[in-house]
Amino acid sequence: MQQDKVHVRLLILAGVALFWMTAVFGRVAYLQLFRHGEYLARASRQQRRIIEITPKRGAIYDRNMQPLAMSVPVQSAFAVPSELKDTAMAARLLSGVLAIPQDVLRQKLDGGGTFVWIQRKLPPEKAEAVKSLNLKGVYFQEENQRYYPKRDLAAHVLGFVDVDEKGLGGVEHQYDDVIRGRGEKIVVMADARQRWFDGGEAQRDRGASVVLTLDEKVQYIAERELAAAIEKTHAPAGTVIVQDPNTGAILALANWPKFNPNAASDAPAEARMNRAISAIYEPGSTFKLVTLAAAFDQNLTRPDEVFDCENGSLVVGGRRIHDHKAYGLLTVSEILANSSDVGAMKIALRLGAPKFYDYIRGFGFGSPTGVDLPGESRGLLERLQHWVPSSIGAISMGQEVGVTPLQMATAVSSVANGGLLYKPHTVQQIMRGEQILPLNGPSSPAEPRRVIRPETAATLRHLMEGVILHGTGKAARLDGWTAGGKTGTAQKIDPATGRYSRTNVIASFTGFAPINNPAITILVSIDSPECWPHEGGDVAAPVFKRIAEQVLAYLDVPRDVPVSPRLVQTAYHQGAGAESDSLDDLAPVDFNAQTDFTGAGSKESPAKIPEPALPEVTVAVDEGGDISVPDFTGKTMREVTEACLRLGLNPVLVGSRLASLQSPAAGSKVRRGSKVTVQFGGTPAHAGNVR
Amino acid sequence: MVGKNKPAMVEFHTVKRIDNSRLVRHVEPLKMRNLYKTAGLGAVVAICCMLYIYQHFRCIDLSFQLEELRVRQQQSLGLNGALKLEIATLRDPQRIDLLARHQLGLTEPTAEQVREYSAFDGSEVAAVRYVRPNRAP
Repeated sequence: MQQDKVHVRLLILAGVALFWMTAVFGRVAYLQLFRHGEYLARASRQQRRIIEITPKRGAIYDRNMQPLAMSVPVQSAFAVPSELKDTAMAARLLSGVLAIPQDVLRQKLDGGGTFVWIQRKLPPEKAEAVKSLNLKGVYFQEENQRYYPKRDLAAHVLGFVDVDEKGLGGVEHQYDDVIRGRGEKIVVMADARQRWFDGGEAQRDRGASVVLTLDEKVQYIAERELAAAIEKTHAPAGTVIVQDPNTGAILALANWPKFNPNAASDAPAEARMNRAISAIYEPGSTFKLVTLAAAFDQNLTRPDEVFDCENGSLVVGGRRIHDHKAYGLLTVSEILANSSDVGAMKIALRLGAPKFYDYIRGFGFGSPTGVDLPGESRGLLERLQHWVPSSIGAISMGQEVGVTPLQMATAVSSVANGGLLYKPHTVQQIMRGEQILPLNGPSSPAEPRRVIRPETAATLRHLMEGVILHGTGKAARLDGWTAGGKTGTAQKIDPATGRYSRTNVIASFTGFAPINNPAITILVSIDSPECWPHEGGDVAAPVFKRIAEQVLAYLDVPRDVPVSPRLVQTAYHQGAGAESDSLDDLAPVDFNAQTDFTGAGSKESPAKIPEPALPEVTVAVDEGGDISVPDFTGKTMREVTEACLRLGLNPVLVGSRLASLQSPAAGSKVRRGSKVTVQFGGTPAHAGNVR
Repeated sequence: MVGKNKPAMVEFHTVKRIDNSRLVRHVEPLKMRNLYKTAGLGAVVAICCMLYIYQHFRCIDLSFQLEELRVRQQQSLGLNGALKLEIATLRDPQRIDLLARHQLGLTEPTAEQVREYSAFDGSEVAAVRYVRPNRAP
């Protein structure tokens, strides 16, 4: 009886267990077999996160690998509105941190959907502040922010990018495909606390780095001198190009007005315009170089041939053209030196329109130079068939033809290098990591093209030197180097009258230095200088001189002209506090606030680079020696060397043991850096230097 | 069911000594071997299961650690980039120019003040150049 009861209970328990197990397994089977897909998708949504790895743009360097543009990672905040429980509170909190109007945020968050940007590319402190709010439904996405650490330096060459890091100008646009890289999406798993794990390694393509031909020091010199000239002449615009005539590489390309690419959207379109390659102007007298080059190349004239310049007036094709000055008989070299329009016209008439046209085309006018920058203009050059009878006269002196500053600089470079026309370029190398990529497309190297004979180029170089020595370009004469160049004062069309304006001109100077082995070609173009005199020789030539002297010294180009001794002005140290405010503007990382402290794009205040105030005390001293040579007799080599180094003298040690003789004698006054020869021990073999 | 008139039952306590020492359990070797095999197999399976579970959770744990390290690596790279950016900013020629002119009071050298050296720059080099030949035998 008892045993029967036990059996019954066991049976009930077994039945319950069987039922429970059947129910469990049944449910499991149902979920696995019938609702597998649904729950798999739900789990996937909860556990998986698809992370978009934004591509990192490659850096842009100058020729010395100084970074001019680089990207650093920043955080962008986004929200999943469906996960936000209280959008009003979230909007209020975020508004306080991000300084965005609460209404704007509320509108975004109430919009529904699964994704909405709160703010992109947050500064680190703001990102931390948002993170500290610990709002559910607010997440961060890593992106990259493009920075231009040198601000407006070389802005027109570098270009700029939009918020999605897409290149919109300059090299950034031209090489966007290689600089940008490719983005990638990776899948990571997240646990219940939204911690990531099991994330795959993203094979992100970081984008190639670009090494430019620009030199940031040369670029700065060019921009500084251009800004100073703009401030002095009150001109609205200007351009400076510094080019290596032997390769076509552009060392500096400066435009005014300029802009800060860190805040490119704030700059007017005019400031973002790369005038060096897209602004067309009538070159004026600088174009006489082409006229003379063609004539010399065709052996139609010689530098010493005399032309009658008709007292400054000549009728060509029924149109009377007046010279800027009434000249009589001039040699060809004097025609170029004095920039005689009538003389240039007579030479062009002897050359004839077809050949003249061929040479103009040969120098690259009327077609793009092929520079690896976007937006290049081809210039304006009427086809030969469309020339009117007076065209040859007008074009010979730089009218009725439109050129870009880069076309002009490239043409003059061909004269400087002996007659080869190189394709101007700004990109020297493209690198992916340590690997150097081949240059393709616009950056591919091209063989130079011969446009004039080397003899012709040599003759022109000599004549161009004459322009600087005793012509219209005297203000471009360099201290320490020979140079050649040509001034240009191109009258602009007055929109009111439709005729050439007498006051509105483009003053330019194009030249190179040194004469025999040119290292640089410089073009200076100042648009509408509001000063008098406003000729190229008065406005642009001094800028050429300033830039050339600094750049040649920087490039260690040996001097080929002795520097005449003269008094040296020595300025005493000025109080440091006076300009501390302007230096505060150059705080290292305040990029968003750096809207160009030099006032780029502002016509009212063109060049605000703080000029150094004149020193309160200026003392003129004779540079001839101020260091008294000590008596080295009986001293060791070490003692002599140390004493010389301490005084800034250059010791020349001869012999051994103790010092016995010296030159200059003890007590003599010498300059800093002078050589002091000291004889040790017996009489040296070359005793001539030592008394 | 025991009546009152029946005499009481006398119970005797006897001690019965049972010696089981001579009993020998019969062991079948085949069964024992199977038992050991089964137990061993079970242990192996259990160990494999434990190993699998350990590996699984260890893998997840390492994934967390890896992800943390990746984050730290990214942060370090970001910091590195920011520092490079700061260096580039500090090397801005315009900034250096202003510092030189206004804080240090430097001015541009005139043409006469710029000296060219035909050989190596620096008097130290000159000294070494002349001392060495003199020491030669």
